[in-house]
Amino acid sequence: MNNKVDLSINLGNLQLKNPVMPASGTFDIRDTILNKEQLNSLGAIITKSIASHKRLGNPGPRIWETEAGMMNAVGIPAEGFEYFKENILPLLEDFCVPIIVSMVGDSITDFCQLAKKLDNFEKISALEINLSCPNLNDGLYFGTNKDVLGDLIYQLKKNTGKVVMAKLSPNVTDITEMALTAEEAGADIIIIANTFLGMAIDSEKLIPRLGNKVGGISGPGIRPIIVRMIWEASQRVKIPIVGVGGITSTRDALEMFLAGASAVQVGSANFSNPYVMLNIIEGIAGYLNKKI
Amino acid sequence: MKSAENKPLFVTGKVLENRNINGDYFEIVIEAPDIARNARPGQFVMLSRWNINNLFLKRPFSFYQIDAEQGRFAILYKKIGKGTEILSQSKKADQVELIGSCGNGFSLPENVGKIALVARGIGVATLLPLAIEGKKKGLEIYSFLSAREKNLLLGPDKLGPLSSHIFYTTDDDWKGTDGKVTFFLEELLKNNRTDFEAVYVCGSKRLARHIRELQKEYHFAAYISLEERMGCGIGACKGCVINTIYGYQRVCKEGPVFPLEEVILNE
Repeated sequence: MNNKVDLSINLGNLQLKNPVMPASGTFDIRDTILNKEQLNSLGAIITKSIASHKRLGNPGPRIWETEAGMMNAVGIPAEGFEYFKENILPLLEDFCVPIIVSMVGDSITDFCQLAKKLDNFEKISALEINLSCPNLNDGLYFGTNKDVLGDLIYQLKKNTGKVVMAKLSPNVTDITEMALTAEEAGADIIIIANTFLGMAIDSEKLIPRLGNKVGGISGPGIRPIIVRMIWEASQRVKIPIVGVGGITSTRDALEMFLAGASAVQVGSANFSNPYVMLNIIEGIAGYLNKKI
Repeated sequence: MKSAENKPLFVTGKVLENRNINGDYFEIVIEAPDIARNARPGQFVMLSRWNINNLFLKRPFSFYQIDAEQGRFAILYKKIGKGTEILSQSKKADQVELIGSCGNGFSLPENVGKIALVARGIGVATLLPLAIEGKKKGLEIYSFLSAREKNLLLGPDKLGPLSSHIFYTTDDDWKGTDGKVTFFLEELLKNNRTDFEAVYVCGSKRLARHIRELQKEYHFAAYISLEERMGCGIGACKGCVINTIYGYQRVCKEGPVFPLEEVILNE
């Protein structure tokens, strides 16, 4: 690591030693090759999504490789709050970087009750709201319906003192509209974005490749769309933007900063290269050293 | 079964040899001392011989032979898609990226006695290291091999010398059986009252279902090694689940070896 460059940032009220963190769902502190020291060199640590009650996720197959990335239909399996409190929270004590807890819920009430419970733990710095799940009350996805999104964030803010990070869905016509809605409702940070809905079909077996039939596309193929979305949203919103989608290298991360992101998350690239986040942190320092 | 395994490592390995065995089957020998040292029968590595912008994910391969002393291991693979196509072009001194060793491997029985290894096709790759370790431990090995065609029957040359008895059937040559290699296992259990300390199966869910039926009647310990498309290979992505009596379990983390009676096979 190059010591001449200070990579620390203020992301809203979060102080990060650098702007690189894992994307939820692709990373689990219980199942990582990185050691404690390496984990503590990240900008932040994000948990797998947790829910009020255990969620099982989708039947397999859950993974399908695409031409420029992959699709997953994992279905956000999540530990329930009690399990999280007993088994995961104690592990987080090992870390001296901000801890972001990813949350998933079935309804606004469900989200709010969970947020309220998590509010009691000092170790947790922020809540990342996974909006790519349906509201069981009306079947609408939080991330694709402006009114439900706004209502959820507004209610959540009343139930937690933690930093609220709204992880927007890219499966919308106008990302700026969703970003502005989240901002107006009180989100502290927005994350652009999540996976793009896709589908693949096996022409031999005549069935979909994924058990859930459709899944979320991630990887380099989606990156230019995400960069465009960050750029569009950053023209209008004032709160910080975290960019995520298809980053596999330092150059990819820099592209998102230049589009308007304040920090980045690295997702499925962790699968192929477990050191990718460490490489990117070092790469950003090297780049800035050259440019300054 | 769920012994504490070493945490997987992310390392570069060197290809020592890559040769075509027959048809689309290849054997590659890779030098990676840190992985070979801790590798156990039934475990696997995630491997790439390509850039992330060429193929996005690594591919899982089980250990076919493990040489901890020489710091190398072999993989038996079938050229079946883009990844194995690229792998099949490997030459001596090529570099590969590896994550391993991954997953929970096989356990051998406490008692010295007989074990049965049942494999279809490439499934034999996973069982060979188990046979080698079993033989060292003084176990008597019965091998049951099955394949689509006679010339695709893998493993008799390697498993033969390790086995006291070896049986095989192929889809093009039944040899008076009902087409299932488990016919021989059933004969031994039923007519010869042979007791097996454990039965291990890999390569076919159909064969596994037959063994499950036999297990219900003859009450032996049985284990299955499973495969599934994987994202990370280390448990993080939850992408490789199979259904078990305990719900979804990750093939890469809780498996790839599972007690046969825990796996829900009829899917």
